[in-house]
Amino acid sequence: MAKLILLLLKCILFCGTVYAVFEDQVGKFDWRQQYVGKVRFCHFDGHMQSSKKVLLATESNVFAALNTRTGEVLWRHVDKTGPEGNIDAFLQNGQDSVLVVGNGRVLRSWETNIGGLNWEVVLDSGSFQSTCLVGQQGTVKNVAVLKKTAISLHYLSNGHQKWIENLPDSDTVDYQTVYSGGNGEVYVLGVVPHSHIAVVAFSVDDGEILKQSSVEAPWLSSIPESCQIVDQEMLICVDSTTMSLYTLDLTLQLQMNQIPLQVKNVYIFLLCGITPNPAKQPLSEFFLQLGPDRYVLLQFNSGQIVMLRDFKPVCNAFSKQHFSILTFRLQNVCYSPRLQYFNASTINLYNAETGRRLLDTTLIFTMDPNGGKPERVTFLKKDDSVGYRVMVQTKDHALTFIQQPGRVLWTREEALSDVLTMEMVDLPLTGTQAELEGEFGKKTDGLMSMVFKRLSSQLILLQAWIAHLWKLFYDARKPRSQVKSDISMENLSRDEFNLQKMMVMVTASGKLFGIDSKTGGILWKHYLENIPSNAGFKLMVQRTTAHFPHPPQCTLLIKDKDTGLASLHVFNPIFGKMSHVTPPALPQPILQSLMLPFMDQDYAKVLLLIDDQYKVSAFPSTKYVLQQLQEMAPTIFFFLVDSSQGRLSGYRLRTDLSTEQIWEVILPTEIQKIVSVKGKRPNEHVHSQGRVMGDRSVLYKYLNPNLLAVVTESTDLHQERSFVGIMLIDGVTGRIIHEAVQRKARGPVHVVHSENWVVYEYWSTKSRRNEFSVIELYEGMELYNSTAFSSLDRPLVPQVLQQSYIFPSSISTMEATLTEKGITSRHLLIGLPSGGIVSLPKMFLDPRRPEMASEQSREENLIPYAPELMIRTEWFINYNQTISRVRGIYTAPSGLESTCLVVAYGLDIYHTRVYPSKQFDVLKDDYDYMLISSVLLALFFATMISKRLAEVKLLNRAWR
Amino acid sequence: MASPGGQGGVLSTRGGGATRRMKWALELSLGNTRGRGDRQGAQGDVVYPIGYSEKPVPDTSIQETDKNLVEKRCWDVALGPLKQIPMNLFIMYMSGNTISIFPIMMVCMMAWRPIQALMSMSATFKLLESSSQQWLQGLVYLVGNLLGSALAVYKCQSMGLLPTHSSDWLAFIEPPQRMEIMGGGMVL
Repeated sequence: MAKLILLLLKCILFCGTVYAVFEDQVGKFDWRQQYVGKVRFCHFDGHMQSSKKVLLATESNVFAALNTRTGEVLWRHVDKTGPEGNIDAFLQNGQDSVLVVGNGRVLRSWETNIGGLNWEVVLDSGSFQSTCLVGQQGTVKNVAVLKKTAISLHYLSNGHQKWIENLPDSDTVDYQTVYSGGNGEVYVLGVVPHSHIAVVAFSVDDGEILKQSSVEAPWLSSIPESCQIVDQEMLICVDSTTMSLYTLDLTLQLQMNQIPLQVKNVYIFLLCGITPNPAKQPLSEFFLQLGPDRYVLLQFNSGQIVMLRDFKPVCNAFSKQHFSILTFRLQNVCYSPRLQYFNASTINLYNAETGRRLLDTTLIFTMDPNGGKPERVTFLKKDDSVGYRVMVQTKDHALTFIQQPGRVLWTREEALSDVLTMEMVDLPLTGTQAELEGEFGKKTDGLMSMVFKRLSSQLILLQAWIAHLWKLFYDARKPRSQVKSDISMENLSRDEFNLQKMMVMVTASGKLFGIDSKTGGILWKHYLENIPSNAGFKLMVQRTTAHFPHPPQCTLLIKDKDTGLASLHVFNPIFGKMSHVTPPALPQPILQSLMLPFMDQDYAKVLLLIDDQYKVSAFPSTKYVLQQLQEMAPTIFFFLVDSSQGRLSGYRLRTDLSTEQIWEVILPTEIQKIVSVKGKRPNEHVHSQGRVMGDRSVLYKYLNPNLLAVVTESTDLHQERSFVGIMLIDGVTGRIIHEAVQRKARGPVHVVHSENWVVYEYWSTKSRRNEFSVIELYEGMELYNSTAFSSLDRPLVPQVLQQSYIFPSSISTMEATLTEKGITSRHLLIGLPSGGIVSLPKMFLDPRRPEMASEQSREENLIPYAPELMIRTEWFINYNQTISRVRGIYTAPSGLESTCLVVAYGLDIYHTRVYPSKQFDVLKDDYDYMLISSVLLALFFATMISKRLAEVKLLNRAWR
Repeated sequence: MASPGGQGGVLSTRGGGATRRMKWALELSLGNTRGRGDRQGAQGDVVYPIGYSEKPVPDTSIQETDKNLVEKRCWDVALGPLKQIPMNLFIMYMSGNTISIFPIMMVCMMAWRPIQALMSMSATFKLLESSSQQWLQGLVYLVGNLLGSALAVYKCQSMGLLPTHSSDWLAFIEPPQRMEIMGGGMVL
């Protein structure tokens, strides 16, 4: 009976929760994609036959397991960003994964089946050098961690420290490697550069120093780069100057034997060893890399070195960490990917003991032509099976998982974990719609031809409609499961309300993506080779899809921050193809770019590029554009902000495309530095020019399109003296319109600048809390000039109102919603470090909020001032879909005034729609069409019937 | 014993039952028209009582016009709108200044009635034709209606329905045209 009651209670409880999250709307308008980042360490989970996991430790400080069948993330642990969460080493033993995190700060053990934490120990301070598993009598029980001055041994089962020993002469000797061969001894190898190698052997049981010796090695500078332990405690080092190998028996530690190599013209020497099992000794075979694409497999056999095989992999897919984790159990195999022709790769398996290629192991697969070259290969081969699986990591951070006959099971685009900038582009119209549009787009040529054109386009429309009907009829007969409306390049078209757009994303790796905003599917990708690692990107839409038959055009400005040189990549954002327009060569370093609102004769907006001589070049630079530029030149201004010198300067364009500096503001860098400069978004519309007061008069907004919000932070970070400054500057005249300083405050400052307001967030060191501050600018009760806005003719200073609030959480990023016409009220989208995105109505951040509610303020719908801003749970637009490390939020208007499209990117990508003023222009999802139409129909028939009855009755009465 | 006169002038043979047709019947009273099939007799051949004339006799006493009465009647018509004003004021006071369906209906009614009356001025004038003070009465009628509509406008005003403030025209202000083009930012 009690159980029954409990069950009933549970049912009620669960029903309640289901209603609370709007289950029917989950995933309807939104999607999330989870990424892990560029892979640093990778292990196949091979301890169980049925295991379908691959474990990844990445450079984004993420430790995750992927399902090898689907490529989905099984579980994922996101650590702190920066060096504090950096994963230094990853050891795999059975179903435990041991990670060293944060430069040897923490040692963690994870259970790989469910991703639970086994244990975590904080290690003694010291710079981390190396780690290894320590086995004894065939079982691994301990893990050794080598630091700069000490070595410690921990139990694998609970993480407890077994012993810790200081290293002898650690101030002179640079200890770099730790090694254990499974015979009760732990060897620590150190080097005094260009002098000798120090070898210390510890006992596994109690940490006692068993042996200690130093061997002369004047040619050696670094052990991990040029030495490897093979066979039974045999250290092999390579010397590239004398082209010879040195061997040292660690157990005897006498001196190094020199074995000269019979090779010529070699310039790289890299050694890779093969360790099949941490509890056992490594094999006696090892790799020697002789060149960028030449490897030899050597065998050390009782003092002799025998060459087994010479490999020539075309692509350089070998790396050092690789070989220490590569082979699986005793089936000693190795591989060599080779690029046979343009984009087909082959992978072969070789037996490491003999150097022979295994039969039936050739695997041919085609690489994505828009991807990068392979960088790293990890594979899993089980003892009893012939087949094997390979995961290939390419230079564009993509992971491809391949099964034996060359079948690509899945591909993950890990480059998307590091999106730098993005734009949303409208999809093109369908062919028929475009036909109609084209009719009006072209030049008019005579009445008759126009009529014919119209008729033909109508005919085409009719044809398309009939085809659509036929398709509907045809599909209706098929089972529903087969009728799948998957998005592909062919059927890409704008929907009714322009809710589906193309997301163009630029990632740090230099790979561009085109993503369908409805499903999140990647429609195109393009890898830009030779992108410098610290490049700056600026993405601009030059031509939208509105100008059929001209294709849309996006331009990506890529700037190398070291040399300052920039290049342009011009492409079609819908298909990702390079445009036939050749971008201009830019011999001079580029400082900034400026998109002008006017277009050339092909409807492409003109892009101005400012070089370091403050000369301007236009793209496209046709005669027509140059002529237009000459006419427009007196109205074109631009500003440059040099944060390192604390200089803001404004320039005016001359008709000969040179520039003239017209204003300059210097903020002394000793006191404060410029953190960010925010202008207004060019596609922002403001519907209402003022605010209605309680007495029905109007307070006009100060809508200066040239206004800039400049945020500065003090260089002095002492909590009593630090401050955050905000300056509102007119970008044309350099006039400082308002200046505010927040004392005892510290960054990071997040700013949103829109309409007539600026909202910024900072950390108040005095009260130890996050605070929001809002500045609003008003012209007053009268407009100075209602038809035109010119910064050069503004004698009046705007009224400035400001208010501050307390926010209960720190924030990662902030953006304002944006709609087509700007009628809908605005919300602020705030990305929290916890992974939520809060949609905070701007109404709460209004400096006109009164302290005491009066009749007039109530009339205006002003909320009385309260210093605390609450976060209501229903304001989270991503309900339980946590987005890790939100770095940016992008908002775009849709065709519906009520709807704003939102993309949050960081480690994950999340897309949804928000309705800041509810969906006032759309019927609700659950609108009862059936009821309404049936009532209408019933009424219609009732009218018809009653009309007939009335007629009959009248006739009867006439007869009477 | 049974005499025909004693039976009320109705002679009938007995034993035939109710359903049987009488052989013959004599009806003496003409007003009794219960028989079927003789509708015409009831309408057409009506015999009027003595002294009843089918044609109206012209009334000579009405011919003389009572001027005073006409004047009074015409003044009633002319003063009608003015008399309504106190009533309207009361309704106005009662309905309040909130904007909801009931006060709006009231205001609409109050505004519509004078307008309707002004539209049908000519008909009213025809009514007042017989009066000697026709023009004065017309003027009073007009003033009364104008006052009524003014009252309605005042009510609209106090309810805030008239576009008399600058905020009512805010939606029609076009965004100002941008005279300068500006761009730039941090040095990339």
